[in-house]
Amino acid sequence: MTQRTALRLHKALARIWAPEPGWRGWLTTNNNNDIGRLFLAVATGFFVIGGILAMLIRAQLATPGSAFMGPEAYNQVFTMHGTVMMFLFAIPFFEALSMLLLPGMLGTRDLAFPRLGAYGLWVYIFGGSAVIIAMLMGLAPDGGWFMYPPLTSAAFSPGLGADVWLLGITSIEVSAIATAVEVVVTVLRYRAAGMSLSRMPIFAWYILVVSVMILTAFPPMILGSLLLETERALDWPFFQVENGGDPLLWQHLFWLFGHPEVYIIFLPAAGMIATILPVMSRTTLLGYGWVVAAAVSLAVLSFGLWVHHMFTTGIPHLGLAFFSAASTLVAVPTSVMIFSWIGTLWKGRVRMELPMLWLLGFFATFVIGGLTGVMLAVVPFNWQVHDTHFVVAHLHYVLIGGYVFPMIAAVTYFQPLLTGRFRYFRLGEVAFWLVVPAFHVTFLAVHVAGLLGQRRRTWTYDEGQGWEILNLVASIASFVMAIGFALVILDILINTFAGLRGQRNPWGAPTLEWAAPTPSPTYGFGSIPIVRGRYPMALDPDLPQRIAKGEGYLADTARNRRETLIVDTMTGEPAEVAVLPGNSRLPFLLAVVTSTSFLAPLVGAYWLSALALSGVVIIALIWVWQLVPATTEGPVDAGRGALLPVASETANPPGWWGSLFLLLADGVHFGSLVFGYAFLWTVAPNWPPSSYLRSEVWPVMLALGGAVALIAGPRLLARAIGRPALPGLLVATCGALALAAAAASVMLARPAPEGHAYDATLWLLAGHTAFHAALVLIMLGYLSLRRIAGHALRVGEARIVSLWADFAAATGLVALGAAWLPGAFA
Amino acid sequence: MTDVLRIALPFTLWIIGFCALYALQGLVCSHHWPAGLDGRTALVAAAALFVLGQGVVLAAVLSRPAATRFAQRVATILAVAALAAAVWTSLPVLALTVCG
Repeated sequence: MTQRTALRLHKALARIWAPEPGWRGWLTTNNNNDIGRLFLAVATGFFVIGGILAMLIRAQLATPGSAFMGPEAYNQVFTMHGTVMMFLFAIPFFEALSMLLLPGMLGTRDLAFPRLGAYGLWVYIFGGSAVIIAMLMGLAPDGGWFMYPPLTSAAFSPGLGADVWLLGITSIEVSAIATAVEVVVTVLRYRAAGMSLSRMPIFAWYILVVSVMILTAFPPMILGSLLLETERALDWPFFQVENGGDPLLWQHLFWLFGHPEVYIIFLPAAGMIATILPVMSRTTLLGYGWVVAAAVSLAVLSFGLWVHHMFTTGIPHLGLAFFSAASTLVAVPTSVMIFSWIGTLWKGRVRMELPMLWLLGFFATFVIGGLTGVMLAVVPFNWQVHDTHFVVAHLHYVLIGGYVFPMIAAVTYFQPLLTGRFRYFRLGEVAFWLVVPAFHVTFLAVHVAGLLGQRRRTWTYDEGQGWEILNLVASIASFVMAIGFALVILDILINTFAGLRGQRNPWGAPTLEWAAPTPSPTYGFGSIPIVRGRYPMALDPDLPQRIAKGEGYLADTARNRRETLIVDTMTGEPAEVAVLPGNSRLPFLLAVVTSTSFLAPLVGAYWLSALALSGVVIIALIWVWQLVPATTEGPVDAGRGALLPVASETANPPGWWGSLFLLLADGVHFGSLVFGYAFLWTVAPNWPPSSYLRSEVWPVMLALGGAVALIAGPRLLARAIGRPALPGLLVATCGALALAAAAASVMLARPAPEGHAYDATLWLLAGHTAFHAALVLIMLGYLSLRRIAGHALRVGEARIVSLWADFAAATGLVALGAAWLPGAFA
Repeated sequence: MTDVLRIALPFTLWIIGFCALYALQGLVCSHHWPAGLDGRTALVAAAALFVLGQGVVLAAVLSRPAATRFAQRVATILAVAALAAAVWTSLPVLALTVCG
């Protein structure tokens, strides 16, 4: 192909992938470049807000007996600082970078579910804005970022603050789960031809691991928020000791999320380090396989540490020892990574560019934070410094050193790719030399203040305790650090708009994202690349030109739609053609109604919440209806002589993969609910309740029969392609109704969930069952409507419904069994 | 997906075993635990089963090679590490009071 052909291809693809013109384009775009940039800008805005709150804290603590803030304001400020930094900045920021960079790294044109990405963005913006607006109105939560009851119960935290946190943050977690599903499916299936598992860029491994962690760590937190909000709004006593609840249940659910959260934040940064460090060292990553193994093991180990945040709650010594042992284990995979990076530096020739400076800042800081983490894993030391400023200093060493510094390195490293401009103004170096030394002065002083006994979360302190100089030094240095961070942002902005127009791949990086033009166009690649190694740009320097000329897959634009390649998960062989959706208002509208359903209860508008929820259902149905064409088209030409099926016509379409991983999160949510029930049953002080639920035979028969029909119905549907679908639809519908009726029998038998935590939990178990039966009914209704409209039923659609029906049946049986068994044996 | 599952399996089993051990300890120390049954014996037996299970996983990984050398290598590293993690996190059942 000639240069002219490449230009024609570029113009055709740019037209197909273009967002709508004008401001409406921002509301309807779902391209990863646009969504990623918006995500990045909003997350940076929240970082600035969180930073200002940090400065308020340090201003207050600079001197003893300060009158700068009263305790009410201080409580809101430190709660919001933690909340903003953890939920509104850290996670969205790496999600933004992943959205922007991952398709390029993997050699695909976009993420697997572009509309889901746009939906996640808007839910995040609405939820985050609600929390910030509440703060500006003086309605911010003030119970600390981990919101322990009974402090945050309605009795001790009246008003809206805690509700803002519980509802606002939960909606943001929905956004994180949406993005995680999208990322997992993208990494597993949407890659360049020939990109096997062993050829995946190291960041893809990290972000795959992190996304699975989000899917498994966030559900316990969502459940905890649901329980606490239900307790506050409806007086269901999950955490009230006098009524069979236990506040420790909250701590378990929170830290089941909260500890993995630390690694959810660290691992993407580690992925960036493992990507950037070899390039800055002009070599390749040492021990790729070991680093993958370390990332996987660290991710899972992080789920076995949650109780180390609860060492002072009176748990038996054996329990403490389990978690102390697991906590010390974490040092092993972390060290494997650190030594891999040191070895990479050792075998290469380091160039001291700005990203490398930040990586060195990371090493100096994170290793100290890791070592104080090992100190905290030792139970007697933990008891000594629990809830002191030592813990504050430790977590800032880990989170700023282990996350913020590598992320600044990542932004400066990828700036040429994202903006098309190379750094010219050298403000960044000045910022680095302000931030890193000032950080260490600040938090070394805070460490010492903690060791001397200064408690965290106290709005002031008295003179004469030896903390005055330490706090003053920490506060002055923290302001220097804040000035440094402001310069970081200024440096990036200036170089984005006034930097040098650079050539492609200025760092000489070997990974695929640098094969795209800079700045990356909306369609990413002119054709889907073919890779033959882990470092495609090093193996084949002419690759960018050949991709642009259309020598890869899917270079033909005749079908006039957004297409990308789906590959075999293990080998990377081309398998299917994915047709991606175009611009749409639906993600924005769905986010509006979703956020309304979450936030309306804040002002007591439960009717509006219910109305918005029905809006969610309607828009979701329209969304799916639009995605699947009425007719099938058979295999299509994917280029290079390959005839591949369209993904939506296969047995396991992208929606099936997305459902699979969404159900993983749903399953963990359900598991957390069962854990909560078992926890209360085992250790809550006021158990057993005055009586257990005793079921009659008919609800049990309904549940068993319903489950069998739910499992069988969709399978009948899948086998009925080209034949009448009515039997399968009827069987599945009867199954869902029977299961829902069995669940309703539990609620009818125990009509007062506010009386005891046992009854409240039964209602939740039954509610979970009824909710999933209703979901299946909605899906069956959708399939019926498609049949009535004359659309071809696809095996993939039936298999998606089958997944959800199996889940509803299995969890329904477990939930109802758990509700009925204690009564049967009592 | 088989290779991905092979890589995920060893530590997934570790977290299940670890949580089960902790849950058993909670049950042993609750009023539901039968009076005649020795809690430590139950915990030691569970820990032994936990370690044995991880050993079986390692043996399975070694005896049935993955489709690619890379997946085999990573799965082997993880199976060995998960076995070591199981031994390390089970050790407290031999040394500490069960409910004190």
